[in-house]
Amino acid sequence: PSPASVGRAPGPPDGGWGWAVVFGAFISIGFAYAFPKGIAIFYKEIQDFFGTSYSEIAWVSSIMLATTYGAGPISSILVNRYGSRPVVIFGGLLCGVGMVSAAFCTSILQLYICVGFVTGFGLALNLQPSVIIIGKYFLKRRPIANGLAMAGSPVMLCTLAPLNQFLFDNFGWRGSFLILGAILLHCCVAGALFRPIGAATASGKTPTIEEGKEIPKEEVTKDAMEMSNPTNVPMENKTEEEGGKDCCEKINQYLDFSLFKHRGFLIYLIGNVLMFLGFFAPIVFLAPYAKHIGIDEYSAAFLLSILAIVDMIARPTTGIIANSKWVRPRIQYFFSFSIAFNGACHLLCPLASGYTGLVVYSIFFGLAFGMVCAMLFETLMDLVGAARFTSAVGLVTIAECCTILLGPPIGGTLIDTFGDYKYMFIKCGAVMVLAGTFLFIMNYYNYRMLAKEEKERKAKEEDPKSVRTENEGRNNWNKETAQDGPELEPLREEQEGLKKEVNGT
Amino acid sequence: QLSEPIATIQAVNWKTQGSPSDHLTIGHNLSTPGPDLTTQEFKQATKENVSNVTFVEYEVLLPGECAPSTSMEKNITLDSAARIELSCKLDNKHSYLKSLQVTWKRGNETISHITKTENSWSIQLSILDSSKLGSYSCTLKACTSYLTFSYFALVPKIEGKEKPIISYEGDTAVLTCESSGYTPIAWTWYMTNGTEQIAINDSLLADKYVINRKSANTTHLKIQKLTKEDDGAYWCEAAFELGKSKGKLKLKVLSFMVPLKPFLAIVAEAVTLVTVVLLYEIYSKKKEKRA
Repeated sequence: PSPASVGRAPGPPDGGWGWAVVFGAFISIGFAYAFPKGIAIFYKEIQDFFGTSYSEIAWVSSIMLATTYGAGPISSILVNRYGSRPVVIFGGLLCGVGMVSAAFCTSILQLYICVGFVTGFGLALNLQPSVIIIGKYFLKRRPIANGLAMAGSPVMLCTLAPLNQFLFDNFGWRGSFLILGAILLHCCVAGALFRPIGAATASGKTPTIEEGKEIPKEEVTKDAMEMSNPTNVPMENKTEEEGGKDCCEKINQYLDFSLFKHRGFLIYLIGNVLMFLGFFAPIVFLAPYAKHIGIDEYSAAFLLSILAIVDMIARPTTGIIANSKWVRPRIQYFFSFSIAFNGACHLLCPLASGYTGLVVYSIFFGLAFGMVCAMLFETLMDLVGAARFTSAVGLVTIAECCTILLGPPIGGTLIDTFGDYKYMFIKCGAVMVLAGTFLFIMNYYNYRMLAKEEKERKAKEEDPKSVRTENEGRNNWNKETAQDGPELEPLREEQEGLKKEVNGT
Repeated sequence: QLSEPIATIQAVNWKTQGSPSDHLTIGHNLSTPGPDLTTQEFKQATKENVSNVTFVEYEVLLPGECAPSTSMEKNITLDSAARIELSCKLDNKHSYLKSLQVTWKRGNETISHITKTENSWSIQLSILDSSKLGSYSCTLKACTSYLTFSYFALVPKIEGKEKPIISYEGDTAVLTCESSGYTPIAWTWYMTNGTEQIAINDSLLADKYVINRKSANTTHLKIQKLTKEDDGAYWCEAAFELGKSKGKLKLKVLSFMVPLKPFLAIVAEAVTLVTVVLLYEIYSKKKEKRA
């Protein structure tokens, strides 16, 4: 449907069917994050069955996680091309097929392929589109929507863990994989809820007037600018423009590599890649650490439950806080603060003595973990705008893929070398505090630059004579702002003129 | 009358490689602990005509006093022949109670050969075969009450699995048994036929059963081409120098129909939900067009 035929007010709905979409995203995201951890229950049995070592089995989860993150760009390209709904439904089917075929596997290699690659790829096709479509349905209440959707991960984990145990006790690992394949088909249900919606803003100008008080103006004008950027214009306009583009622009149409010149994107990328080095390792090693200092197995597992429950509550709460008018304009600072807070928790963990200390640590860790996760995609949307978010999320996830995979093994090596868990916590804490500080400083710089550009842009707009000199001015700016690729420059200026006439409401 | 209760029991044990016993938990304290007994030295096994001898000392500290009769028990787990010295020792504080009567018994028989020092009574045992296993108790008689401390020398216990292992017809199942910390001489697997236990001979039925000793302490039984008849209880038996010990495992063989039904039910449910959502969307779009 073309933007004009959407009978709603221009701009993202920020409610209505949007909440159904949030529910769908909740399920999709929940499966994507919780599933690799949830199937660890089957590993002991599978290990005995195939006669392999534990590390060979653990590769299944690693491959799955790597594929889920690494296939991000492919997911982004497909969403750019076909929209969220078909991609999620296909992803759900792929997950189902993967797990059902895993039920009939006769070697560990086949398990790597069926569970690791196929299901992992299916989950990748679930994760990215879910996050993307939230950006299309929400603007004013986007942080809340993001927080609620991301809460799917701990809820699913808490549900999957006992469910998997039940399935295993009654059906063995093969039967469980079969049934899990059917359960994963519910991702298709989530996909069905993702009704396609027009571009994030049909007209970039109206929101400025209506919602300008609540939303930082730089973001809206960014959206407006990107709306007129041909790479993100809805499908029907593409066919007109395709003739006049060269191959770089064609690639950029599917995956916006020009993002690498976007200052905010680069800041986010570097900060997050650094953060993920220390993000997951403490969770992986929390239970072993507890057992190491003499706590029994069930209490150690209970620590993870405490973490998950606090996480569950923290995510929507953070979403609500991030949406408030004091925090939303400064959301990047809030995000940097949560990362640094997370790091501080890890640095203090070695001081925790005994079970009570670890319980306190788990509570704070759960809180910090939830805060970071809730805002993970929200801050990216905030920096690059909803339109370019599709490509941005793909590029970010493939970059994070490496550090996510490296984090726990590095932690494990530290533990094995020194025989003490505290160095792993110190390393994770230090990395995250560093990442948080980096993001804080760089975002401060970014906010100032954006404010400066905003002022300059306003000054130019008010001056009618400067329309022609705008070209030159823009060319100069692009070296600093780099919001659009330079190769698109000449085309875009023509389009700008056209669009202003067409959209001129 | 002194205010301290009759006994502080602290058991101290030393281990050599791979031998008794971690079942000896550090004592049940009837009262505030007495001084730690570190004065007893660990004596290295001397070469005797017994192979794999290990020497472990277990002690009981008894400050003598009048109190109600009590008895305590401890398990000593041995996987190979060992020489053990068990002693009942008086806490130095109350060594004035020399009139204490201490007897050592094997089961109900009194042991006569007791080594007595100023405040300890000990016996030395060479546990070379299963006949020497059993309970050894030290009974302290003070005033009119008795304090008995019993040790049970036994072979290591093999833990089976509580929950059944689920497998499917035509598939392979792997049953695992582990003896924690102790190394058995040999493993044997038994299957239950009615009420009998029949040993599994893997060389006879090589394409059906494969017994594999994965490591010193674990054994695997692989059963191939499962049928309904393979359903039931299996036993893994570990043979130690001093005796044998069994663990029970249960195998359940299911037909593939069993998980298939919930699978189809869930698939049907998912398809239904997708259809409902899409139909609702078409319906609401039609409503919008009319409006």
